[in-house]
Amino acid sequence: MRRWGRGGALRHSRLQFVLAVAAIATAVALPVVLVSVGGGVSAHELANLENAGYQIVVSASGIHGITYAHNWTKNILAIPGVTAASPVLSVTIDAFTPKGAVTPVLAEGIIPDQFGPSLGPAEQGLFPSPLPLGDPTDLVHFANGTYDGPATYDLLVSSPYADEYHVGVGEKLVLSPTTNRSLGTTYTVTGSFGVPPSVLGPTGAFAVLLPLSDLQTLTGFAVRAAVATDAADTIQISVAGSVSTSPAALDHVRARVQALFPYYGVSSLTQEAQQLEAATGVLTGFYLALSSVGISIGLLFLALVLLRRVEAGRRSIGIRRALGVPSKSIAGEILGGGAAIAGLGAAVGVAAGYLIVEALAAWATSAVQEAARLAVFEPVLLAELVVGIVSLSLLAGAVATRSALRIEITEALR
Amino acid sequence: MNRAAAPLIELAQVTRTYGQGSADEVRALRGIDLRIEPGEFLSVAGPSGCGKTTLLNLLGLLDSPTSGEVRWNGEPVGHRTDRVRARMRLEGVGFIFQRFYLLPTLTARENVELPMRALRVPHGDRTRRAGRLLEEVGLTGREKAFPHQLSGGEEQRVAVARALANEPGLLLADEPTGELDSGNTQAILALLEKVRRDHAASLVVVTHNPDVARRAHRHITMRDGAVLEDRREG
Repeated sequence: MRRWGRGGALRHSRLQFVLAVAAIATAVALPVVLVSVGGGVSAHELANLENAGYQIVVSASGIHGITYAHNWTKNILAIPGVTAASPVLSVTIDAFTPKGAVTPVLAEGIIPDQFGPSLGPAEQGLFPSPLPLGDPTDLVHFANGTYDGPATYDLLVSSPYADEYHVGVGEKLVLSPTTNRSLGTTYTVTGSFGVPPSVLGPTGAFAVLLPLSDLQTLTGFAVRAAVATDAADTIQISVAGSVSTSPAALDHVRARVQALFPYYGVSSLTQEAQQLEAATGVLTGFYLALSSVGISIGLLFLALVLLRRVEAGRRSIGIRRALGVPSKSIAGEILGGGAAIAGLGAAVGVAAGYLIVEALAAWATSAVQEAARLAVFEPVLLAELVVGIVSLSLLAGAVATRSALRIEITEALR
Repeated sequence: MNRAAAPLIELAQVTRTYGQGSADEVRALRGIDLRIEPGEFLSVAGPSGCGKTTLLNLLGLLDSPTSGEVRWNGEPVGHRTDRVRARMRLEGVGFIFQRFYLLPTLTARENVELPMRALRVPHGDRTRRAGRLLEEVGLTGREKAFPHQLSGGEEQRVAVARALANEPGLLLADEPTGELDSGNTQAILALLEKVRRDHAASLVVVTHNPDVARRAHRHITMRDGAVLEDRREG
């Protein structure tokens, strides 16, 4: 910097300075983007978990792996503290509009009076209450596993689908598990619902909601003579407020549910949140490890620049040492210069990372844009990153300092 | 040893050999004995390569002898650590080089302040002292000039002011007028004499210039790394 250059040398030194700052900034921008976006998405999903209307979830491996879903729901509801148990079966099927348009939709089979209480505060506003589906308990059609009762053929459609295909209440839709319309069943649209934004999962923008037993019979997951089914993918369990706020009580209920079927996964959302946090921690570490390659290259470049500056300033260093300027003072200047470059580079990198995320949030394609919009900039983490870079720059500076202090005074003054 | 009677600096059987043991071995100094008393003005003359600059480097603790002893005020210092010798240079020696060796990116005042900064002299004190020294060498009004904005004579004046910054007991000048015209040479010589007198410092000048040598009180002539003649005026 000022002490080590003049004229052309000064311009050369400035160019090296700018390049070193740019190298560090580039190395820092990457982890800033990765960690802020990754952390933001995780925080968003964590918030979703915390705001869910259910606190325990039963899941099974394989496709639609929970069998006897209606019976299990009844048994779960008998456990003290449980206020709702909502089995959900999700299947992609084809929907045919009256005008002949066909498109795949995500069909979710639910028990209407259990589904409502399992919604979180943010989701409740997306659905009409009560759900305008006949047979609220889904037991009329289910009829103790015979599926002999009368089906309502009521259907809710998502508002994106309704808007796209101009489907309104009272209109008929044909749902079919295949592209063959003649194998389908005709439903009456009785209402619509909104679709929450989701980053990690499918958006399910085109979706329909219908009673569980209807979807089971439509898709072949109802009880049949040769196959024990009555399938669902998950059962979402809501508990009383006193249970949800007590980790011990919640775990007790979870254990009771687990005892019903030791072969299914039963987890509380607290556990899922902990797992998500742990996964986020691992991912953050991975991002930083990945970024350490770039940071190492940046610091190597810094070390080279500092060495070049020492080499270019041999005479000045020799003069200063001849005059008696202490070695620690000269070392301090070199280390300070390196730390200043690293600090400035890190600050520019943080700013660049922020701008990149903002640009992604404004102009990237949908999924990336959505993720970028959720980015969270943790001041402490960013400060630690900058401090870490500055600390590591001392190692880079140490190489140049060693070189400077080995300069023979009498040689430098020749 | 009687410290009170000790010379400011003393060299006893000092040798300095470069590349010792190699095919390129150079014996720059061969068994030099020299005592310099406080306030003395010495000129050191001799042909190129006779060891004048090596002698100056040893006197100024920029270099260590291969054998023999360098003593300051009776204390052996030739083989002290770099840190200790740097401190002794800072406090006790003022250097004036042929090519001035001002730091190009510092102003005249900042160059003069440099040794004081290293001694952690408070900012106000060192600014005042630097201003006074620049005034003393006739550079009032040029404090903010950078070296490339100064003439050769002015640069050497700044170098003289810098050498005096920490009020050293010993001023070492290596061909101080070697790059100056005759006018500036006379001015610098007059200045050196004045500051030596005013600051009560010993002055050792390595020179080829008979005008410079003529002003000294003691004349040392060297040849092939040895003192050929050591003559005092009057």
